[in-house]
Amino acid sequence: MMHQAPTDMTVAAAGPRAGQGYLSLQGLTKRYHDFLAVEAIDLDVAQGEFVALLGPSGCGKTTTLRMIAGLVPTSGGRIVVAGQDLTAVPPHKRDMGLVFQSYALFPHMTIAQNVAFGLEMRRLPRMEIAARVAEAVAMVRLEGREDRRPAQLSGGQQQRVALARALVVRPSILLFDEPLSNLDAKLREEMRSEIREIQQRLGTTALFVTHDQDEALTMSDRIVVMSHGRIEQIGRPEDLYERPATPFVARFVGRTNRFTGNAHGTTIRLGDLAVRAATQRSGPVEVMIRPHRVALAAAGCVPADGLNSVTGIVRRTTYSGDFVQYLVDADGLTFMVEEATVGHGRIAPAGTAVTLTWAPADTLVYEAAP
Amino acid sequence: MDERPISPILKILAAVGFLFLLAPVLIVVPLSFSGEVFMAFPPESWSLRWYAAIAENEKMLAAFLFSLKLATAVTAVNLFVAVPAAYALVRLAPRGGDAMMGFFTAPLLLPSIVLGLAMLIVFSRAGLLATPQGMFVAHLVVTLPYTLRVIATALSTLPIAVEEAAATLGASPVTVFRRVTLPMMVPGMIAAGSLSFLVSFDEVVLSLFMSGPRLSTLPVEMYNHVENRADPLVAAVSVLLVVFTLVAVVVVDRSLGLAKTFVR
Ligand SMILES: Nc1ncnc2c1ncn2[C@@H]1O[C@H](COP(=O)(O)OP(=O)(O)O)[C@@H](O)[C@H]1O
Ligand SMILES: [Mg+2]
Repeated sequence: MMHQAPTDMTVAAAGPRAGQGYLSLQGLTKRYHDFLAVEAIDLDVAQGEFVALLGPSGCGKTTTLRMIAGLVPTSGGRIVVAGQDLTAVPPHKRDMGLVFQSYALFPHMTIAQNVAFGLEMRRLPRMEIAARVAEAVAMVRLEGREDRRPAQLSGGQQQRVALARALVVRPSILLFDEPLSNLDAKLREEMRSEIREIQQRLGTTALFVTHDQDEALTMSDRIVVMSHGRIEQIGRPEDLYERPATPFVARFVGRTNRFTGNAHGTTIRLGDLAVRAATQRSGPVEVMIRPHRVALAAAGCVPADGLNSVTGIVRRTTYSGDFVQYLVDADGLTFMVEEATVGHGRIAPAGTAVTLTWAPADTLVYEAAP
Repeated sequence: MDERPISPILKILAAVGFLFLLAPVLIVVPLSFSGEVFMAFPPESWSLRWYAAIAENEKMLAAFLFSLKLATAVTAVNLFVAVPAAYALVRLAPRGGDAMMGFFTAPLLLPSIVLGLAMLIVFSRAGLLATPQGMFVAHLVVTLPYTLRVIATALSTLPIAVEEAAATLGASPVTVFRRVTLPMMVPGMIAAGSLSFLVSFDEVVLSLFMSGPRLSTLPVEMYNHVENRADPLVAAVSVLLVVFTLVAVVVVDRSLGLAKTFVR
């Protein structure tokens, strides 16, 4: 399945050139019997960069991460860090930090002993270990709890211990496997910014696995969207959101209107409706329009030149604080429209006749799935 | 921790069950304080004479000491063998591992009388009958399946991510085992150890086959005693054993939670 970028504004990938990254995955593959869990992944991550691996459950994120950590043998491809091929190096010699969803703390050790473990493995002098443990414990704001056991801490505190334990050895790369999934929503948001802040302060290269698009969008320098063991798109959060490379990315990252139609040049017929796109295409296509890219005005408003314009009736209005979502019936299609709420904003109630407008460039056109 | 009301029928059933299990104790305890020369229930007079008699019965004391040493040695060797074996079967998951586990635990399925007969034939040829070595091997055969099972179960419930975390922090496989896996296995090892100790200490059938005029275990000696004489001495021994076992179980349970290791 090959998809083409929907617009001609192809964004230069912000990351390092192929094979030049501090962390470089080259054709990384994992096969379980005849099932391809990870299929020839190429990824380059710059030093100090925070990259999220985003995708639905079962798409191969964990497997990729575990291959990088050396916990799962590869079936093909190479893992290179700082120019050194680590593909065949056992996990305890890879110098990577891994933070698990389940925290995976040592239950029989105190917090201080947990954090000190990696330093002891590196045979550092006792004084230095003590100093660095104290520093790491302070960094995750757990001073005074050094002598507790993991079972005596809350989930959020345990995950902060896991973070400190991985960070204290100053690993070449910090790997996270859905570290926030077991925490409640509020704590999760706090931890997001805490992890991001610490990672930026230390300049550690980080790879963060998640199935939560908000997490990926808010934390990352770049996001790798995966599906069925393959990379769908690599890009900055705004690239993925505004210019999804494939229908999968458009659906998975953010909300979207989805229609099927027929393209003739820049004009696309969606049932009785004709809309314009910025790219030339012909034949059956899939069309996506982001709800926040559509403007809603009272019926009869004359749209600015060159904009797509559709008239319809509001079927449902949902107020959700920072934005209002409308479902608008227009010529047999239903459009989802989202408008940011402004202080004095007037909200169109259900039944209002409205005109919807959007720019041709916001009509994202993809080859129809076969 | 929801406290649901327990139905009266369930309470009655539980009470009957307990009564059934405890009935022997209810007979044996009064019997042990009997002042009579014969076992008769209820006793017509009371005394501590049978407890005093234990101290003078050298055969009984020797058998007790031998049982104690035997159970200790058997338990030590059990753990020494079962921990690495369980680790290999569970963590390294070799091809045919399930079949091997089945093979190692097969003695649990054989009636001990069959096992005893087989050993009698083999051991008599090897000159091991009525020797401490023969007794030791026989007990090892019947206890190892329990130990292996309990430790393998305990090991398979340990989260493997903890060991992986240790590896990513720079611990070699040997260090991971020593610093992380082994300490986390301690509760399972204590449970398996107490089980093997009690099974060995309690074993009668095999011990009967393996014992001789100068070598017997406590249960065998008690059996012999009852065969020859009908005095309440064995009742007094039994009460001491019950107390001894109870103390051991309470200590283990208090320190680790026996239920947690067995119920899974
Ligand atoms: N040990 C294994 N044996 C067979 N299949 C596996 C194994 N581990 C993972 N898989 C399969 O590989 C795919 C990717 O798994 P995973 O990397 O855990 O996905 P994710 O982390 O994205 O949810 C899944 O379909 C999963 O069933
Ligand atoms: Mg996963």
